[in-house]
Amino acid sequence: MKISVERTGGIAAITRVWTVEATSESAMNQWQPLVEACPWDTVPRTPGAAAREFADAQPDRFIYSIRAGGRRAALPERAVTGPWRVLVDSARAAAEQERPAGNGTGSTGG
Amino acid sequence: MNVPFCTIIPPYLLRRLAKQDAPQYSAAARAAKEALGHVKTVHASRTQAKPDTPPALRPAKPGPPNRTVYDAQGAETLPGKLVRKEGGAATGDAAADEAYEGLGHTHRLYADVFGRDSIDGQGLPLDATVHFGRLYDNAFWDGKQMVFGDGDGAVFGRFTASLSVIGHELAHGVTQFSAGLAYRNQAGALNESMSDVFGALVEQYVGNQSAAQASWLIGEGLFTPEVQGQALRSMKAPGTAYDDDVLGKDPQPDSMDSYVRTSADNGGVHINSGIPNRAFYLVAEALGGNAWDAPGRIWYETLTNGSLSTTATFTVFARATAAAAVELFGTDTKEHDAVRRAWETVKVKL
Repeated sequence: MKISVERTGGIAAITRVWTVEATSESAMNQWQPLVEACPWDTVPRTPGAAAREFADAQPDRFIYSIRAGGRRAALPERAVTGPWRVLVDSARAAAEQERPAGNGTGSTGG
Repeated sequence: MNVPFCTIIPPYLLRRLAKQDAPQYSAAARAAKEALGHVKTVHASRTQAKPDTPPALRPAKPGPPNRTVYDAQGAETLPGKLVRKEGGAATGDAAADEAYEGLGHTHRLYADVFGRDSIDGQGLPLDATVHFGRLYDNAFWDGKQMVFGDGDGAVFGRFTASLSVIGHELAHGVTQFSAGLAYRNQAGALNESMSDVFGALVEQYVGNQSAAQASWLIGEGLFTPEVQGQALRSMKAPGTAYDDDVLGKDPQPDSMDSYVRTSADNGGVHINSGIPNRAFYLVAEALGGNAWDAPGRIWYETLTNGSLSTTATFTVFARATAAAAVELFGTDTKEHDAVRRAWETVKVKL
């Protein structure tokens, strides 16, 4: 399963992408619960839909587009809470462990 | 549950909750309906342009700043622990003291040059929180106060290090209390551009730099030495602020020929702002002297005179600046000509 987190916006407006590939059974066992914990069906799927849902955007805050397998979600930063925050932080940490400081792709085969 | 409910639960969930008719959800559905009503009221209030108090009714002299700086201590809860109040001694913490000084410099520009009493024109206290989050690489205006992260240490250092960034965040407050430009598409790019313009003017005013002397960079010094770049944006030459192996190239266009259509970043608000940013620079370059004088007055008048709708496009804004130039300096004056030529150069039709 491929999990990707794209972050746009922020005062710098530098797009960052963190990607994790869960390729082994143990990696799937690690990531699947984090993915399943998120309420994918109740949130916007695209940045455009997210902008309509969250019309009172706060200037310079981030916007996240999250994908896990075939599932998609788009959320402003202030809505990335609870299981979404756990998933985003975990994906970023795993990707940056593979490639620090940049737009990373991590492979968690182990 | 009452009003604060709506500040946490997003509108789509409120609508879902409000539709619940099972008895066990009746209280939640009622609260959701009330909260939705509040959201609508807030949105309505934000979609109406609010002209500032007419000059004749403004206080003769803006009051002094009333600053408070808080320390979030790495958490994401606002405002955090109070570390410095107005008139208090320096804390010794660079972020807290830079925020305090930056708020003062920004207040001074608005008071001295534009006769504005703080960001709402009525002496609003200036609050800022530093050390927000862990390795948080951003700064933002949350509708009530400024918030600054320490940066991740790899790409960004602390965000209070740039006075133009502090001025940028406060200008979002000025826009909120004046034209109320929506934060999406071209209106959002204008909102962003206003913040860059007045952020740059704060830096130039404090440094007593003429338009020719100024760097016209936003966020200079925020990048760590590892990054190939000078700043977040260049108003003089949009698209040239950085070009880095990891971060990529500065994506800002410098004219409508390279306007970026995207749904990311609220419709590219930080990207297409390069176009009106360059227009302001071109006016300042053409007129010479200090950019906070004639160019700043024209842009400030446009932002605050109530002529802009919250969904203004670049063309609407350009026409409003030309009208403001005529209002302030007269038809076919050098100021009026500079404004017209600037928009022509960036290919925004008047």
